[in-house]
Amino acid sequence: MTQTPVTSTPTVSTTQPEDFFQLLKPRVMSLVIFTAATGLVVAPGSVNPLVAAIAILCIAVGAGAAGTFNMALEGDTDALMRRTRGRPVAAGRLKKNDAMAFGVVLSVFSVMLLGMNTNWFAAGLLLMTIAYYAVFYTLMLKRRTPQNIVIGGAAGAFPPVIGWAAVTGDAPWQAWLLFLIIFLWTPPHSWALALYSTGDYAKAGIPMMPVARGARSTRLQILLYSLVFVPSAIAPGLVGMGGPLYLAVSILGGLMFLALAVRLWRSRAGDAPDGIGRDGTEVVGREAALYDVRVEAKPARNLFAFSILYLTVLFAALLVESLASFGVA
Amino acid sequence: MSLYLTSEQLTARNRRSQWIAVGLVAFIVVIFLSTFLRMQRNLAERTAQLQAVAEMSR
Repeated sequence: MTQTPVTSTPTVSTTQPEDFFQLLKPRVMSLVIFTAATGLVVAPGSVNPLVAAIAILCIAVGAGAAGTFNMALEGDTDALMRRTRGRPVAAGRLKKNDAMAFGVVLSVFSVMLLGMNTNWFAAGLLLMTIAYYAVFYTLMLKRRTPQNIVIGGAAGAFPPVIGWAAVTGDAPWQAWLLFLIIFLWTPPHSWALALYSTGDYAKAGIPMMPVARGARSTRLQILLYSLVFVPSAIAPGLVGMGGPLYLAVSILGGLMFLALAVRLWRSRAGDAPDGIGRDGTEVVGREAALYDVRVEAKPARNLFAFSILYLTVLFAALLVESLASFGVA
Repeated sequence: MSLYLTSEQLTARNRRSQWIAVGLVAFIVVIFLSTFLRMQRNLAERTAQLQAVAEMSR
């Protein structure tokens, strides 16, 4: 068959598969897989490893669907921010409607498959999480209130509960303790990032805490949330969910987290305009925007980076101890 | 009416089609596995039920 290039038609796009993959927010997805797997392993009872793998796949795809809706609906504001302007919808490589359709397909298949393979309570939680993130957070909260990530952060905290429910068919208080850890972790984590991205959020009209209440108030709130978050992170070690490894890691990491939060509170992070790197030029690209910051903003960047490490280590400790106890049993 | 595509459009469409094929195969495998697991579970339950009935009738 001979193809003669004549003109580009509006009906056939040049969207690449990578653009669809990027819609899934792979980094967020990896954290979701990790926390969901932890909930699944820590939950009492056993589950067929293949069922467990399918459940984690469904939760991951469901999280990807939520991310897809988010990128489809926020293409206009994403285009205004350095960190997000390369996203497929924001950059114009993918149409909003195509992204929405992709999100619907992923949602339907992930929820149905999870329900068929585990139970409909877990599937219902997954559906609620997708709707919570796409509708409640993205459409209703994000552009209206500086508390957006506090309330919206619940969506990111659900995966371990869904993982737990996939095994037991219910969600006892231990599962909600895992939820609480991620829920309380989200504000200090997100606001630390927002402290050195205020210009971006202001440009996009998103009332993140540093934009709406100022850097000083944000630094104080980060400290207050950290004071509540660290005890909740240690709690599983005290109530028997985690063993000595978890207790040691959560206390040592918690002290470090608090030290960084205090240092940030006493700093001037967020007071100066952001977006300028150490060499005085504008930082461009996601990685650069995350880590190449001015000296004053370093305490914010340090807390942001450490918060990711701390959460990862906490869940890894729970996972390792639970797997080790299976081995002993 | 024939539709003529630029080489860029054609390459993009072919790559998308390949990934759709991969996705469909993955979906078929997952459905097969979940059906198999469900049958296995149901058979185990059925066997347990039959054993219970046999013991009661003894």
